[in-house]
Amino acid sequence: MSEHGFWSRFLLPGGLWLFLLFVVPICLVLALSFGYTDDLGRAVYAFRLDNYADAFDPLYIPVLLRSIGYALATAAICLLLGYPIAYYIARYGGRHKHLLIAMLVIPFFVNYLVRTYAWVALLADEGLLNSLLGDVGISEIQFVNTPYAVIGGLVYGYLVFMILPIYASLERMDGSLIEAGKDLFGTPARVFLHVTLPQTKQGILAGCVLVFLPAVGDFVAAQLLGGPDTYMVGNLIQEQFFTASNWPFGSSLTVVMMLFLSIWMFGYLRSAAREARDPVAAEGA
Amino acid sequence: MSALDPRLSRRQLLRAGAGGALGLYGLGALGGCTVSRPIEKPESTAAVKPEIDGDILLYNWAQYMDPDIKKRFSEKYGVAVNEVNFDNLEAMVTKLRAGGHYDLIWPSTEYAFRLQQEGLLHRFHRDSLAHADGISSFYDGGWWDPNNEYTIPYAYYTTGIAWRNDVVSGMAGSWNDLTNPDGAGKMFILDDFQEAIGEANLLNGWDLNTADPNQLEVSKQTLLEQKEFARGISTNSVQNLVNGSAVIHQAWNGDIVNVRNQVDNPEDFSYETCKEGVPVGSDLMCIPITARSPGTALKFMDWIIEPDNAAQNVTWNGYPQPVEGGKQAFAGLVKDEPSIDVDIEELGDGGMEYRLDNAEDRALWNQVWTEVKAS
Repeated sequence: MSEHGFWSRFLLPGGLWLFLLFVVPICLVLALSFGYTDDLGRAVYAFRLDNYADAFDPLYIPVLLRSIGYALATAAICLLLGYPIAYYIARYGGRHKHLLIAMLVIPFFVNYLVRTYAWVALLADEGLLNSLLGDVGISEIQFVNTPYAVIGGLVYGYLVFMILPIYASLERMDGSLIEAGKDLFGTPARVFLHVTLPQTKQGILAGCVLVFLPAVGDFVAAQLLGGPDTYMVGNLIQEQFFTASNWPFGSSLTVVMMLFLSIWMFGYLRSAAREARDPVAAEGA
Repeated sequence: MSALDPRLSRRQLLRAGAGGALGLYGLGALGGCTVSRPIEKPESTAAVKPEIDGDILLYNWAQYMDPDIKKRFSEKYGVAVNEVNFDNLEAMVTKLRAGGHYDLIWPSTEYAFRLQQEGLLHRFHRDSLAHADGISSFYDGGWWDPNNEYTIPYAYYTTGIAWRNDVVSGMAGSWNDLTNPDGAGKMFILDDFQEAIGEANLLNGWDLNTADPNQLEVSKQTLLEQKEFARGISTNSVQNLVNGSAVIHQAWNGDIVNVRNQVDNPEDFSYETCKEGVPVGSDLMCIPITARSPGTALKFMDWIIEPDNAAQNVTWNGYPQPVEGGKQAFAGLVKDEPSIDVDIEELGDGGMEYRLDNAEDRALWNQVWTEVKAS
């Protein structure tokens, strides 16, 4: 048996798993998105386009734009916060590297919902942060129920997905390149801009995609930390399933969202493929 | 007639899913053939009798029942009482439809009605329960169970307004109080499409459950005006009130009990019901048709409404239970703020339940709610 054939056999369990628990459910969502709901709230398979007509109702455009705006802001802040952390750990973590990474990851073992609830308690008007500020003479600030709180919650929720890929790309990078840059009299800033940053571009892109995509569809942050005007696409979809008893409409919104997000994903994959094919040309591009 | 039954059974779900692209193609070909046929009434089954017939599995909201009540039942009758939890009713109903074997469930009135219409509930005679006499007359012949043969009540909640009486003055027992100027920027509307639209309907003088598009349009404007005053739309009323984010909050009366238990200044938290109408929500107990031990389940229902057990349970979870023992225990819990203790029997026509029992009305209400939240 060829080595290829030998390894192929081990794909079967994972492939089957993916098919049953990923491909099949997505097909169900797709099939249901053409259905409707009966009087008892049961989803019925049919072939109707109504749900898609509803999904493209102009009413939802501001909701979608808001979600994208929040997610872009989240990715940008995660990048600004996450890059220095990843850089520090990768370059200066030394023998504590793995410990530092573990410390970053451990909080994420706690459910996102629970952590977000904790934020509400910390940031509330009479919460811990405001009482500390009060002690130093700063009057009460409203943190929660604002768009900033939602973005803050998203940043907190997804930061680790930015740090890990950037850390991995920094780890992979040949450290002597930085030394070479310095030998050529590059200032730290110039060495970073012309050597380190291009070398870790793929890590940055991967991090941005990993943060942006789930953040667009998130509903927890807006639900718990948001105000009257922070309604996101995730909230809209979640409500169709949990309170509106309208799974078919929820499914059509999900399909539209998946297609929309796939465009971004596709852009990322193309860039990654170009990089893999010809790293030097991609860098110059 | 479509090859796919309009009802969504588990097998069809699997078939449609496994069919993948082929199934989709088939569905496409069937477009327009779907028949919404009348819902079949279940064949009448023999009524369940309250007798021990095995261990039971409860399917309930988390933290909703004193574990000691289960423990003592288990010791007395020598059966295991196990419990699993759901965090929303859709998830519960989905599992029941998929054939999950639960012996006792806790649906709202609307969900109990739907489950019964689907034939998913066991029938029983309320008279066969030793403590049925203690059940509030409010639950005698409710629209969700006209003949008292599928449900008994577990807990109820009235919807009103909670407020901080040290910050807000001039509350007048009306839904207009949501826009009391003292609460501007610190007011919350419940994040529940029925509670929000219902309150606006009452304020406009419409029927609580109106599905008239013109009336709902006016109610939408009312909600948009209220939203200008609001700091948020949220069901976390307990947290919002305790941490000081809210000074006026549309709220359920059971939640204000929890608020007052958690703060150092309970006397500053008041609750009122509104003269335009008091929505009453109820969680009921029902036995699914798939129950393995329906007899034990019925016996356990009887155990829960036994006056001493009801009192113990109310003291534990803080929610009013509309049975003898439970009522008195709740009145005791809120004796410092009697407005929280709403006697549903005295509400008369002022007490009303949410009821949207067809898909069009539900879709219309949800559309209005989405417009309120999205704009």
